Amino acid sequence: MTIVSGKVEARRTLQSARSDVLRKMWEHRADYAYVLPAIAVMLIVIAYPIYYTIELSFFNTPPGLQLRDKIFVGFNNYTAILTSGVFWQVTFNTLIWTVASTFFSFVLGFAAALALHRDFIGRGVLRAILIIPWVISAVAASYIWKWIYHSDFGIIGAVLVELGWASRPPNFIDSVSTVLPSLIVVNIWREFPFAMIMMTAGLQTVPEQLLRAAKVDGANAWQRFWHVTFPHLRNVSTVTILLLAVANFNSFIIPWIMTGGGPSNASHIWITHIYELAFGRQRWGVASAYSVLLFIILMTLGYFYVRALSGNERKDGSA
Amino acid sequence: MSTVSETTPRGRTARRVRIDGWRWGGRAFLVFMLLYTALPMIWMLLTSIKSGFAAMQFPPQWWPDQPTLDSYQKLLDPQNSVGQDFLRFFWNSLIVSTATTILSVIVAVPAAYAFSRFTFPGRNFLFFAVLLRNMFPAVIFLVPLFILMRAIGLVNTHGSLVLTYLTFGLPLAIWLLKGFYDNIPVQLEQAARIDGATRFQAFVLIVMPLSAPGIIATAIYSFIGAWNEYIYAYTFLSKNEQLTLPVGIQRFFSENTTDFPGLMAASFMMSVPVVVLFLLLQRYFVRALTEGAVKH
Repeated sequence: MTIVSGKVEARRTLQSARSDVLRKMWEHRADYAYVLPAIAVMLIVIAYPIYYTIELSFFNTPPGLQLRDKIFVGFNNYTAILTSGVFWQVTFNTLIWTVASTFFSFVLGFAAALALHRDFIGRGVLRAILIIPWVISAVAASYIWKWIYHSDFGIIGAVLVELGWASRPPNFIDSVSTVLPSLIVVNIWREFPFAMIMMTAGLQTVPEQLLRAAKVDGANAWQRFWHVTFPHLRNVSTVTILLLAVANFNSFIIPWIMTGGGPSNASHIWITHIYELAFGRQRWGVASAYSVLLFIILMTLGYFYVRALSGNERKDGSA
Repeated sequence: MSTVSETTPRGRTARRVRIDGWRWGGRAFLVFMLLYTALPMIWMLLTSIKSGFAAMQFPPQWWPDQPTLDSYQKLLDPQNSVGQDFLRFFWNSLIVSTATTILSVIVAVPAAYAFSRFTFPGRNFLFFAVLLRNMFPAVIFLVPLFILMRAIGLVNTHGSLVLTYLTFGLPLAIWLLKGFYDNIPVQLEQAARIDGATRFQAFVLIVMPLSAPGIIATAIYSFIGAWNEYIYAYTFLSKNEQLTLPVGIQRFFSENTTDFPGLMAASFMMSVPVVVLFLLLQRYFVRALTEGAVKH
């Protein structure tokens, strides 16, 4: 008796909840007009491609991308990826690339923000100079560093020889063992300013009174940083690290322009590999399957990203 | 008595030394970062004013023996075929970036305002859906977008680039602007509404002017993003006269692999517009970028 009535009750509340939503949507119909253009563009250029990528990943499509001639192959593209040796090499490269780039960009950017927190003459100029690498095109950055690393006339090699640390200029980006670290240095050069900007803004929200109080209580510089400043920056740090990780995971231009993934795949990361599979070797099915796997990984990261962001929002609401 | 007078000064000096240590460490670190950041750019400039012969020497000329502006003259000379190409790429980049910037401001401003002010059902879902776009690399969208552009006849047009740039610029633009609107007191609009303005009038007449810094920042961000974009331009455009700067430069120097002074001069000139734009307006830019992540 009670159970039945409970069920009925639940159904009734469910129904009323549904009509509630519809009524609310109707009441707010004018609000949607503001977001409609943005959503429409997004749907065309995002939802449709995602659907298409998933479909293509189950087919073999001929090189010219003649869609009428595609053949259904089930999960073959996926098994082909997971059983190939290149996949594991590229995944390993991607891991090193993403983790090292993110870690060093964040640490250097954070340290620069801290060092620039105290006012001194020329601080504005210095800050502006440090941000420039982030503004210029990655293509330009790649060429600048390619020239710096040049195996015959590169400046780093020349300096090493002048100092007597090497008998001849080393091959930075033509050697399997040094190519990935060399490219990571370039990537950090371009990415650390972003972390610096974010953490600079974060530092401005740390209440001065707390720091002064800690100083009065005898906390030293490190203790003040660790117990007062850092806890305040946890949210900004999370967002910054996630954004950096995603950006690095998705990098393409620096490895593509500087090495094209070589020598012998030593600097191929996921994105360059997918690009080469699709537009170089025209293996659309395998490339699409890779994209779907990538998509799943990024959705997982995205979940944490949204959680970090909505954590921010909630804090705001209560404050 | 004597112990007290001894310990106090020692404690004080110890503390002073430690603080100085942090400060000097910070200074040394900043010098290191300055060198790391600036040296590659300085080397680019020094190389660009060398002759092709002077650049290819070992050991290198640390300072060019005979500085020359030949590379720049060649790139900017409309009579020369290299100059013709370069100026055309420059012009193409300018058109595409400007069109993208104008469109993304038009689309992002109302969307960001709605996300900031209204509480319609699905608001959070739509907002995060928009943000999630930033998670995905261009490569995922390349094949289907290529098919789409081919189907609607936009391959090899600048329209295909503007449409795609619009979508990858939008999430950040909306996020930046929402931060700005969140910080504009809602009471201002309420006052306007009481005085008889419609909701739309309050938005256009009160909120828009106040958010001008945010709109400027959004515009710079869209412009820089479009100016520097490479993958889509590389994939969608094949005709030489339509290329934008990053792709044009890459294609040109894959044919002239040894002209490093020319390459450095081109890289420098490609960077000038965005760096100047950024330096002029960096106050807005940096503020807007952080407004979303950090609430004051």
